[in-house]
Amino acid sequence: MTDGPKKIIKDITKGFAKHGYICSEQIATAVYLASELEKPILIEGPPGVGKTELANTAALYFKKEMIRLQCYEGLDESKALYEWRYGKQLLYTQILKEQMQEVLEGAKGLKESLDRLMKFEDIFFSEDFLETRPLLEALTSEKGSVLLIDEVDKSDEEFEALLLEILSEFQISIPELGVRKADIKPLVVLTSNNSREIGDALKRRCLHLYIPFPDAKLERQIVQARVPEISESMQIQLVNFVQGIRELDLKKLPAISETIDWAKTVILLNSEELDAKLAEDTLNVLLKHQQDIEVVKKEIPALVSSATETSDGKSLN
Amino acid sequence: MEKVLTDFVKALRNSNVRVSPAETIDAVSVIDSVGYEDKELLKRTLSIVLSKTPDEKDKFNACFDDFFSDEIKQQDSVDMDQLSDIKDVDSDLAKKLLEGSQGELMLSIADAAEEAEIREIRYFTQRSVFTRRILEKMGVGKLEDELMQLGSSREDELPSDLEQELRNQLTNLRERVSDYVQQQFLLHGDVSGEQLREQIFKSMNMAQIDRSYLNEVHSLVRKMAKKLANLHSRRKKNFKKGKLDIRKTIRDNWVNQGILFNLSWAYKKVDRPKIYVICDVSGSVGAYARFMLMFLFSLTEVVSKLRGFVFSSNLGEVTNDFKDAKLDEAIEKALQKHGGGSTDYGQALTDFVSLCLDEIDNKTTVVILGDARNNFGPEKAHLMKTIKERSKQVFWLNPEGKYRWDTGDSVMTKYSAYCTKVFQCGNIDQLERVVSTLLKTAI
Repeated sequence: MTDGPKKIIKDITKGFAKHGYICSEQIATAVYLASELEKPILIEGPPGVGKTELANTAALYFKKEMIRLQCYEGLDESKALYEWRYGKQLLYTQILKEQMQEVLEGAKGLKESLDRLMKFEDIFFSEDFLETRPLLEALTSEKGSVLLIDEVDKSDEEFEALLLEILSEFQISIPELGVRKADIKPLVVLTSNNSREIGDALKRRCLHLYIPFPDAKLERQIVQARVPEISESMQIQLVNFVQGIRELDLKKLPAISETIDWAKTVILLNSEELDAKLAEDTLNVLLKHQQDIEVVKKEIPALVSSATETSDGKSLN
Repeated sequence: MEKVLTDFVKALRNSNVRVSPAETIDAVSVIDSVGYEDKELLKRTLSIVLSKTPDEKDKFNACFDDFFSDEIKQQDSVDMDQLSDIKDVDSDLAKKLLEGSQGELMLSIADAAEEAEIREIRYFTQRSVFTRRILEKMGVGKLEDELMQLGSSREDELPSDLEQELRNQLTNLRERVSDYVQQQFLLHGDVSGEQLREQIFKSMNMAQIDRSYLNEVHSLVRKMAKKLANLHSRRKKNFKKGKLDIRKTIRDNWVNQGILFNLSWAYKKVDRPKIYVICDVSGSVGAYARFMLMFLFSLTEVVSKLRGFVFSSNLGEVTNDFKDAKLDEAIEKALQKHGGGSTDYGQALTDFVSLCLDEIDNKTTVVILGDARNNFGPEKAHLMKTIKERSKQVFWLNPEGKYRWDTGDSVMTKYSAYCTKVFQCGNIDQLERVVSTLLKTAI
């Protein structure tokens, strides 16, 4: 053992931070395990907590090619795995017909014709006519890759079954050509918003990481990394405010991405201090439902006062 | 060290975290690289490998803390030489406590536990019983007698060093045994008591389930419904029209020299049954209707059209109540609005026929839940015949035991003549079987 796992995990945390992704220890551990065990990693969590971003950053960190497959209802193997170039194949048969004349010229009897036909090289189903799609591409990538299968929960259950072979064996069986196996196993990241329960068979093959909303400390670090131009007091106030909103009963809670957007908005407006008016004016950056906005509007004064209070002196650890 | 891990996995399974053997193997290989030294790291690591839903992660955390909490407390033992009167005690246990090492003591606890058949522990209420049993096997009784003797034979008020020390050790021993039992309980017992409760609920008569357990029963019902939904959701038929799937068509038709002969269509149609449920909610049957509706409305994923009706005398539709509101409230509301009166099956059937006979077609299954006790009113069985003729099938679920059918004012036979199938449906197990048959045959 050259490096202890603790050191590697620390390195990952640092390396990710360099690319602007602040991760908790849990996330860093998951990335470490995924690369160590060469197992796919399934990430769940509310939207906007940085699931997809994690894969992007991992690709940057490991200096590998990033291949992304966005899932949706009706996604099937011809769009995810591979496809034959039907047009070319049709043309090929046309050429073949013409060639056939030469091949069979002078052949006597059915048997001889058949023999000649058998000897004739057939490339109808061959790599030449194979169109690779993301999954096959990730397996055949020469330098290794990070394969992001985004929002698996949006795809059909049949598609999940299709993934099983790839995720456990890192291979794809193409009936006409045989098994294609990965030389360098890609780092596979699957994300899910839990709009439907993922099957046990798939879960069993993956490591499982749940990313919750971050705590105040982590969120401050993230805002700091993403919007470095913000003043420290403002940043603390914003994060406290958002943390306060997450306590309320809303349709869609604001995620990290919304906090970052909000911080950028505040910078744009050149505001120095968080007050009720500013909060009310920019609330639509944070919240995406009219009902939610109305609920929060009533709470603004209390939220603002508690957010600014905690930032003066009394630290939140 | 693998024993520790497999024990931990067993404890996890007991607290309802599903861990497969393959995941256990993963965990072993993970621990090879991570090691046992750093507890936090170990926890984070195993949490990623073993628990696969947010819910399971919570359970995992609790279980981990429980399982790895027992660090053996090293006490400084009294110098033996000072205890001059050590010859006064002669029971084995006392000697072990005074002279033996910690390891030996743990070993003898384990031996005694083995003798006490700790493996049989199932419920948390048994913990104290097993603790006592193990202590007895270790000979605590004899030790206590000796302590009594020591106490009574002393001349001054203060207990001797020996007695003091023995008492301390005994308290420690009790604690340690109870910790040990707790750990064994995590390994062998039904930690949350959930399995036991579920078993009981499943076989209990639905009318007798206390209302305070409604939430738990609800989650049980939902679990069962989900199982059924998974089982039945994959039935797909090819469309015969719609958008042409050109790729698939070309591919399929290579055998025809590229002449597009067999067409494939882009969409598949998921076949879902239409179900109409009519529930008797008068007095005695109301409790059953609650579970029936609970079950069916947990199934909306697999059923394309589900309409619910309740009646005691007049029939009313409750479909929308169930769609919008929370299930518990909806059931309460339905029972309040329509429940409680005297039963009139004739009137209810008349209402049903006039309300939605036109919508019943050969894909529709009609389910009637009731005890067929009609208060000697007109049963209007011919309406059942009309319904039967128009629909695909009619099921009748009767919560009463078969021996009570056709007794008193029950007119079960009159109706059952026009039913595709009649079920007895008194507990949740039976209900599950019925709904499973329903989904199997309803398409």
